[in-house]
Parts: sequence; structure tokens; C-alpha cells
Amino acid sequence: MIGLYSLRHICKNVSVGEPGSLKLKVLFFGATAEAAGTRSTVLEIPPGAASGNALKKVLELYPELASHKLLFSVNQTYARGDEPLNTGDELAVFTAVSGG
Amino acid sequence: MDFFELTTDPIDITSVSRRVIPPECGATVTLDGYVRKFTKGRETLYLIYEAYEPMALKEMQKLILQAKTDFEISNVGIVHRLGRLEIGETSVAISVAAPHRRAAFAACEWLIRELKRTVPIWKKEVYADGEEWIEGDRGAVV
Repeated sequence: MIGLYSLRHICKNVSVGEPGSLKLKVLFFGATAEAAGTRSTVLEIPPGAASGNALKKVLELYPELASHKLLFSVNQTYARGDEPLNTGDELAVFTAVSGG
Repeated sequence: MDFFELTTDPIDITSVSRRVIPPECGATVTLDGYVRKFTKGRETLYLIYEAYEPMALKEMQKLILQAKTDFEISNVGIVHRLGRLEIGETSVAISVAAPHRRAAFAACEWLIRELKRTVPIWKKEVYADGEEWIEGDRGAVV
């Protein structure tokens, strides 16, 4: 019972966002995953925010990313910054690619 | 038949090359990209490749469609390896089949150049004395 109470308490604290806010899935790879210390997170942004606003918020949350030359995508397509966002969208933040 | 794949298994370069051949073609150009031991004098022990897999596959498909629009070629196959690769192992194979060789050479060169610029795959170089994720020198890809 104590465990259950604690979990609900924590969830209550972390899940309450702005009314109508959007929830994005954020992914990191390679150098950005190492810099952020995680491979994914969930980001809440105000309704109407564009992809560039979301990227800015990611950089505020993970300032270690700022020293890298970054690219980003929305729903697996390269983004420019003006793309409108919806709840459930997938934002990925990564460095200039180096495959081949 | 065109194909684009990511795999953690070793790449069989001959089978990639033979899979793209249709009857109207007379030449297949295949790039065998493999792990280099020395880069700018520094010794690599092995590489780790990582991809944003669903986006990498989409970008590979886009490259094939674009190449088939811009060059007189018939079929393209691209296979990129992920995970740990030892020195000399194939990291990427690109095969282009065409009625005539010239277009196949040109398309293959264009495909590897664009793949290295746009497909979300990264390599980590593990050296005798450290390791680093390699960051491409290209800016925003839009």
C-alpha cells in the first residue's frame, strides 16, 4: 500500500501539465544520447508550439547538447523548425550523420 | 528489384550485387565500404554503428527513388551494417544495375555521397587510446 501510494503521489506530481499542452516523444542517438544521458524522454510543450520551440526546450533541459552541431526530425522527417506539432509526435535530436 | 536494409549480420557483398540484376542490364557497380584501420594516422580498433532505424530506412528509400529519377539505371540495393564492426568488415554495400556502366558508376557515387549526408546513421571510433562518436561535417539537411 505504501508503494502504491508513493507511485500515485509521484505520478500526480510529474504528469500534471498545462491544460491542452502537447506531449512529444523525444529521441537521442549516438553523441546526443551520451550528452543527454538518456535515449528518450517525454516533453510537454504549449499548444501551438512549432518544432523549433520544442528543440529549444530540449536544449534548455539538456544544455550539454549545445556544444554539438545538431540536426532534428519530426516523425522521421528532417525538420526546419516551423513544423506544427501534435501530441504523440516523435522528435529526434542528433548530430550530423556519419554513416557509410 | 530495389532493396534497402539495415542488418547486424555480416554483409555478403556478392549476394547484394547479384540481387539487383534485371535482364535489360549489362553492368552492376558495387561499392564495398569497409572499416579502415588508420584514419589520419590514428589507429582504430573497431567501430560501433548506430541508426535511427525507421528514419534511416525512409531516407535510404528516398535516395533510391531520386537516383532512379536522375540516372539511367534500373535497380539499386543498399545494405548498411549496424553494431560492432571489426577492421576490414563491410559497413555499407551499394549496388547499382544499369543497361550501361557509365550511369551505374555515376549513380553509385551519388548514392554513397548522399547516404553519408542524409541517412541517420552514426559511427563511434574506438581507438587504442580512447573513443569518440564521429560527427559529420555537413550542416542541416533540408
